[in-house]
Amino acid sequence: MAEHVVLFAGPMGAGKTTAIRALSEIEVVSTEAANSDRAAADKATTTVALDYGEISVSAAEKVRLYGVPGQKRFDFMWTILAERAEGVMLLVNADAANPVETALEFVTDFRALYERGGIVIGLTRADLVPDALIEEYSDALADALPEVLIPVFTVDARSESDMTELLMTLVANVELKQAVTEQSALFAGRTR
Amino acid sequence: MTLATHLDPTTVARAELALGGLRELAPSLSFATIVTEDGFSVASIDGNALNNDRFASMASSTQALADAVARELSLGESEFIVVAADRGHVVHVRVTGYPLVLAALFADKEAIGTSLNAARRTARRLAVLLTAK
Repeated sequence: MAEHVVLFAGPMGAGKTTAIRALSEIEVVSTEAANSDRAAADKATTTVALDYGEISVSAAEKVRLYGVPGQKRFDFMWTILAERAEGVMLLVNADAANPVETALEFVTDFRALYERGGIVIGLTRADLVPDALIEEYSDALADALPEVLIPVFTVDARSESDMTELLMTLVANVELKQAVTEQSALFAGRTR
Repeated sequence: MTLATHLDPTTVARAELALGGLRELAPSLSFATIVTEDGFSVASIDGNALNNDRFASMASSTQALADAVARELSLGESEFIVVAADRGHVVHVRVTGYPLVLAALFADKEAIGTSLNAARRTARRLAVLLTAK
């Protein structure tokens, strides 16, 4: 069976665990602990190792969904889980402090995974911020990282259809990048 | 707003007191810390040799993964974790009744039983100290 691995990354409180629960066909394996940093995110629990879910694309193809902790102090889990991943669903809560800068930081942190796969950004809780414009994120990405191409959507992490659309966009981006890489290699071979 | 556990002076003082006796119980101790379930160090001893914050975060993740395995296999609550390696071992023990974990690094390969026993006694001692008014 073909298997794909997708990471769900982003800051604490962005909705990573919720999004995996919305998508997964199996009961999600979670590693939540009591949150003692209520100043960073006012929620009772936080993921400290990983979330794990699965979806079947077909009888012969499965996508493994891994959520990583949002806090930088758990970045060793990012490294471990990124090793097998093909792409990142980066969720950013638009109503948090400095969400554009946060999005850029996470893209930079997962840049290696972008290079070999892809990243898509889902802005959550955007309805709570009247001026949460997708263009603001796209422009900031274009200014800071002009060589990267990352789609940005507003999403509801609780919505299976929103998260499926984001996931399919990521899959399309990864496949497009692989096709371009193969074409480039073929072209390079012919011109030698 | 309630003070975070790792910033609460009473909890920090009692955690330091409990850790104080650990080296006598297990002489090969290299480092020990009491961590919150979400990876903040409350108190530690002999931490100069390594990154205390990173050790605390790894302890939190490891404990949560062990808890998830025990839960998925319907084994009940995980009591302790031992990571045994070539040049030492790490022991994690929950502080019963509190969202805290004792994580300790020992520099020998052999005396895992001694280390585990010492860590359990220290965790029990901390639980008693935290229960006191």
